[in-house]
Amino acid sequence: MRALIDLIIKNKHWFLFILLEVISLVFLFSYNGYQKSVYFTTANDVVGSTYNVISGITSYLHLQENNRKLEAKNEQLRKQVYAMRQQLEAIGRDSIKSLPELPQIYHTIPAQVVNITLHKANNLITINKGEADGILPEMGVICSQGIVGIVYMTSRHYSIVMPLLNVNSKVSCRLRDSEYFGSLIWQRGYVNIAYATSIPRHAKVKKGDIVESNGYSDIFPPGLPIGRVVGLDDSTDGMSYLLKVRLFANFSTLREVSVITDYHSPERRMLEEQAEDPTKQDSILIQQEKKKAFEEEKRKAAEEKEKAEQEIIKAELERKYSETMAAQTAGNEHPEKTDTVR
Amino acid sequence: MSSVFFTRLSRLFILLFFQVLVFNNIHLFGYVTPLVIGYMIVCFHRNTSRVGILLWGFSIGLLFDIFSNTAGMASASCTLIAMFQPVLLNMFAPRDAAEDFTPTFDTLGFWNYFLYILLLMFALHGVFYLLDAFTLVDWQLTLISIFGSSIFTTLIIIFIELLVRPRKKTKHYA
Repeated sequence: MRALIDLIIKNKHWFLFILLEVISLVFLFSYNGYQKSVYFTTANDVVGSTYNVISGITSYLHLQENNRKLEAKNEQLRKQVYAMRQQLEAIGRDSIKSLPELPQIYHTIPAQVVNITLHKANNLITINKGEADGILPEMGVICSQGIVGIVYMTSRHYSIVMPLLNVNSKVSCRLRDSEYFGSLIWQRGYVNIAYATSIPRHAKVKKGDIVESNGYSDIFPPGLPIGRVVGLDDSTDGMSYLLKVRLFANFSTLREVSVITDYHSPERRMLEEQAEDPTKQDSILIQQEKKKAFEEEKRKAAEEKEKAEQEIIKAELERKYSETMAAQTAGNEHPEKTDTVR
Repeated sequence: MSSVFFTRLSRLFILLFFQVLVFNNIHLFGYVTPLVIGYMIVCFHRNTSRVGILLWGFSIGLLFDIFSNTAGMASASCTLIAMFQPVLLNMFAPRDAAEDFTPTFDTLGFWNYFLYILLLMFALHGVFYLLDAFTLVDWQLTLISIFGSSIFTTLIIIFIELLVRPRKKTKHYA
């Protein structure tokens, strides 16, 4: 016994070394099971707010270029709205009195990038919106130019996004014109080039074709642009193409992004995951409950807002009514005055 | 004792500050990112308690991990070189060195000191980038990252050393 204790005391640095290495490796591997380790990442509130301050300063560096891009996008959208309005008017000139609003297919939450890495194998982005804003893991993230990535884990006020520029990222995609689908992967190296795999050899592909999301996953709605084909190559198995895709999203100046919140269907997700692994059901249920609670909150807020608006309208009406009444009585009292005005 | 502790604590925070704000944003040729936090471990004098070195190394690695989303990668590699540092320092120590000398240009000599830092940095970046890639598929890239970053970091550390501890003019008596 004594000898054992002596041995431990004599070699305590070895034991400590092994202990610390084991702790490190546990961090390394448990990082993949999300949510648990959120305190040891930039999604933690202290670190997140530090980066928030820093990015507040550095965001000025890219302000000019971002402004230019937003302006261009605005212009394009304005044209699109105009064209659509014209089209709508042409279709329904008689039956529709006022232009109806276009149905909104999905809702987005705007967020700012507070930290981003580009030159590692596992690049991640931290954004300044989290569960409190209704963001949950596995929601899609887009920017004005195209798809950015998928939410990986969330804390109360921050989330970590796995961008397309991550060796573990895999997004299903298709060619805009031919509708052949494949999946988009990334290899370490260039920050604007990704590769589309599994597109069959008989598909007609040429340089300049647009690659977009295909809507098979419930993360992105179909038709969101991803990038443009710049090179054709054969995959290693020889059965499919390996397309070199230049991404539309410019990750090196990325600042403003949007998170798609309600395209995400928990029912479908549950069904699919149950089919794969029946034990996973619990975590899905928890997620679903979270989402339900959030929706309930949203509904309540909307109701309250409506109520408040109604009150305002009511008050306005009452005020107007009393005013017109007052004006009428005033008019009756001084008929000659109104005559002179006329 | 406490003054040594506070020196090390402030060194830790200064290194972490510059690493996170400056060096994490350097990507020479797209692959080379220096881990200057390794300087923390380079400066321990001979006969420092090995437990102490391990704990300091682990803490700076862990803090770096939290700030750069690299869970466990830097803490594992910093702990590893913290284990090697005393052995390596003993290997390079000149015979007439004091029992608790601090590794600098003056005590080790330029080339020995350079080699000492280079070996430590090579171990640090080797483990770090292997854990980052976690595959040998694109091993050429990983190798470029490891070699490039080790050399670059060594140069930065030598620059810092010259800045913080200017070389004393050694007098040679007959």
